Amino acid sequence: MSDKATGASWMVSADQNESAAKAAVSAINSHFSKAGVVASVLKHSSGSKRSYVSIECPPEHWLALAKWLRFDNGVNHCSMITGIHHPDGGADKGWEVVAHLMRMPVKNQEPGVAHVMRGGELEGNDIPMEYEVGIILPPSTTPTVPSVQSVWVGADWNEKETWDLVGINFEGHKDMVRVLNPHDSPVGFHPLQKQHRLRYDGFNEMYDDAQGFGRKPIDADKVK
Amino acid sequence: MWITMGPQHPMTHGLWTLRVKIDGETVVDTEPELGYIHRGVEKICESRDFTQITPYCDRLCYASAMTWAHSYIYAAENLLEVEVPERAEYIRLIANEMQRIASHLMWLGAYTPDTGNLTVFVWCLRDREMFLDLMQELGGSRMHYNFPRVGGVKRDLPIGFADRARAKTKMFLERMQEYEMLLDESTIFLIRTQGVGYAKAEEMVNAGVTGPNVRAAGVNYDVRWAHPYSVYDEIDWEPSVEKQASIKGADCYDRYRVRMEEMRQSALMILDALDKIPGGADTHYSPGDEMILSKAPNRAPEGASGFHHFEDPRGESMFYLQGGGEGRGKSPYRMSIRSPMFITIPFVAKTMIGYKIADIPAIMGSFDPCIGETDR
Amino acid sequence: MTDEGENFTTFNSRTLVEMVGDVTDEALKATKIKDLVGVLGGRFFNWAQRKSMFPLHLGIKCCALEMAAAGGPRFDAERFSAIFRSSPRQCDVLLVNGPISKKFADPIVRLWEQMPEPKWCIAMGECAISGGPYFQSYNILEGVDTLIPVDIYIPGCPPRPEALIDGFAKLREKIIRIGGVPSNQREHDAPIIIGED
Repeated sequence: MSDKATGASWMVSADQNESAAKAAVSAINSHFSKAGVVASVLKHSSGSKRSYVSIECPPEHWLALAKWLRFDNGVNHCSMITGIHHPDGGADKGWEVVAHLMRMPVKNQEPGVAHVMRGGELEGNDIPMEYEVGIILPPSTTPTVPSVQSVWVGADWNEKETWDLVGINFEGHKDMVRVLNPHDSPVGFHPLQKQHRLRYDGFNEMYDDAQGFGRKPIDADKVK
Repeated sequence: MWITMGPQHPMTHGLWTLRVKIDGETVVDTEPELGYIHRGVEKICESRDFTQITPYCDRLCYASAMTWAHSYIYAAENLLEVEVPERAEYIRLIANEMQRIASHLMWLGAYTPDTGNLTVFVWCLRDREMFLDLMQELGGSRMHYNFPRVGGVKRDLPIGFADRARAKTKMFLERMQEYEMLLDESTIFLIRTQGVGYAKAEEMVNAGVTGPNVRAAGVNYDVRWAHPYSVYDEIDWEPSVEKQASIKGADCYDRYRVRMEEMRQSALMILDALDKIPGGADTHYSPGDEMILSKAPNRAPEGASGFHHFEDPRGESMFYLQGGGEGRGKSPYRMSIRSPMFITIPFVAKTMIGYKIADIPAIMGSFDPCIGETDR
Repeated sequence: MTDEGENFTTFNSRTLVEMVGDVTDEALKATKIKDLVGVLGGRFFNWAQRKSMFPLHLGIKCCALEMAAAGGPRFDAERFSAIFRSSPRQCDVLLVNGPISKKFADPIVRLWEQMPEPKWCIAMGECAISGGPYFQSYNILEGVDTLIPVDIYIPGCPPRPEALIDGFAKLREKIIRIGGVPSNQREHDAPIIIGED
C-alpha cells in the first residue's frame, strides 16, 4: 500500500526493520560488551514476524544503558517496565525486570505543519524499533534495580506500579507511592508475588461450592 | 486550596480522583489518584487458560473491548507461535476498525457534554448503536464480545453482514458531516477547546503518551505502519494527522479533529476490507473451519515469552506474556498489561497547570480517559 | 418564659411552635383526621417516589456504559423517570454498576449515607452482585451487599439496557409494596433478582 501521490510505501518494510535491528544490536554490543550486556535480534513468532532488539543487562549497568539508548540510539518512548517474581528460578534468578521500549521518529513541529512520514523514506535512527530489556536479579528479600525515571518520564508510573504490585525497589526513584493498591495496604504486601494465593484458590467450580449456590436460598420463604 | 474532583464526579468519565490545587480560579498543582477499580486482573489471569483470559481482556477497557481482546490475542499468538489465516485477519481488522469508530463516538458523546453541547451526546449514542449491532452479530453481545480466539476468530461474518455493514458505514460517513457542521461552527465549542491544553509531541512521547494525542501534534506516527500487524499493509488507508495550531503544542481542538479524521479513515478501511477479504464477504464458513481458525497449542513452555504492540483507540497498548504457568503451561506465568491511559493521566494532570478550573473537563476529556484499562 | 436574673420576658419562638404543634397533633389524633391525612399523603408520596426515581450519576465500570446507553435515544430511560443527578443529596436510587474495590468501599458507603431517606439500591451487573469474574481478586469485595442493603439485583455481564429498565420497573412495584420503610429496616423483604420469574 503506497502513498497515492509519490508512490513511496507507508509501511516500514521488513528489510528496513531487519537492518535497523541489526545496526542497533551491533552498536549496543560494541559499546557495552565489557559490561556484560548482550544484545541480539529476535523475531516475533507470528503475524508479520518482525525483528526486535532483545537485550540482557545486569542490574548495575541498566541506567547507563538506558541513557545510551535514549541519547545515542534515539529510543524516546518507555512503553512498560514490569517485574516478575521467580521463587523457583534457582540460585541466579529470583526476580526479573523487563522493560519494553520503543523508538519513535517523533519531533516537535511548527504550527501549521504536519510531518507526514512515510516508512519508505525513514533511515538510520528514525526507523521505528521495539526493544526488550531483561534484567535478572538474584533471589533476595529486597530486589533493587536503578530507576530510569530521569531518562524517560513514562517510566515513572510504570516503576510505581511494579513496586506496588511486585515489590521490586527502584533505587533513585523520587516519590514512590502505592498507585493501584489502597494507600493503607500493609507494608510489604505486594500481591503479584507468588506466595500470595487468590481467594478460593483451588476452587473447582464443578465440584466445590465455595460461594454456597447449591444451598437453599435464605430468602426462600420471604415475600418478594 | 486543594479541591477534590471525584471519585464520583460527572467530569471524570470513570472512577478516579483528581485533586486540584487552585489559586483563585487558576490551577496551580494537580494530583491524580487511581486504583478505585483495581481488580488484580494480572494475578487472576495467572490461573486461567489462554482462552479464558480473552473475556477478562474485553473488560479491561470497556469502551473498546474488541481492540483489547485482540491486543491480548496477538501477544498470545506470539507466545504460542501460531499462524493466523488471512481471512481471519481481515475479519479481525473489520471488527477492530468498527470498535475504533464506536470508541471514538463514545468519546465524542462524553466529551461534548463537558463543553456544553448535549445534542451530540444523543447523536453519538444513536450512531454507536449502529456499530454495536454489527459487532453484536459477530460476537454475540453488545459490549463484551469474546470474539477472537488464539489462531483466528470465533465465527465468520454472518450472512448479509457485508451488506448491512456497507449500508451502515456509508450512512455514518454522511452523518459525520452533521457532526462537523454542528461542532466546527459552534463558537462555544471552539472557545472551550481552542487554546487550552497544549502538549508538545516530543514531551508526549517521552512521557509515554501515544496514539491520537500525538498525532494531533503534527506527527503521523501510528503503530499500524511502524510495526505492521494484521493486514494493514494491504488496505488502502492513511494515518490521520492534524497540524497543530500553535508553537506551544497541540490543543484540545486538534485532538478532536484527529479523532474525527480517524473515524472517517476507519469507515473507509471497513469498506475496503469488505471488498478485499479472501473468500468474499458473502461466504460463510462454519466456526472452527481452517479458513478462520487455525489449530493452536494450548500450552506454552517455560521460558517462552511474547509481546505485541497494538494501536488502541487511546494509544499504544501492549501485552507481555511469559509462559510456563499452572498446569504445565496452560496458564501464563506472568501477564503484564500496558495501558496507554495509565501513563497518560499523570501527564495530563501536569498539562492542566496554568489553566482555569473550568478548563479541566475540556482538557481531561480531550485525552480520552478510560479508567478500566488504567486500573487493571 | 421568664429567665431568672433578667427583668424582661424573652419570647422563644421555638417553644411556641412546639407547643402549638403538640396541641394541633393531639386534636388531629382525637378526630382521626391525622390517620386520614397519613393514608392519603402516604399514597401521594409513594406515587411521587416511584414515578420519579433519580439515580446517582455514578459510573464504576462497564455496566456504566450500558447505563449510559439506557439513557441514550434507543432505550431512553428518561421516559421511565430515571434522570441522573450528580449530587447524592438529590438522588433516591444508588445504581451500583461495577465491582467495589477496597479503596472504593469507603466512598461508596459515604455516598449511600449522603443520600436522604427513602432510598433504594440497585446492584447492576455481576461485579456488584457477587464480585463477578473478579470474585477471586485480592482487591474486590464480593458484592456491594457486603456494605449496603440491596433491593434489586440485575444479573448480566453487562445486563442489556432493557434489563436495567426492567430493574427500574420492578423497583417501582417494590416501592408500591414497601413504601417509605427506611433502608435499614428492610430485612424482611427479599431482594428481587431480575429475570427470576
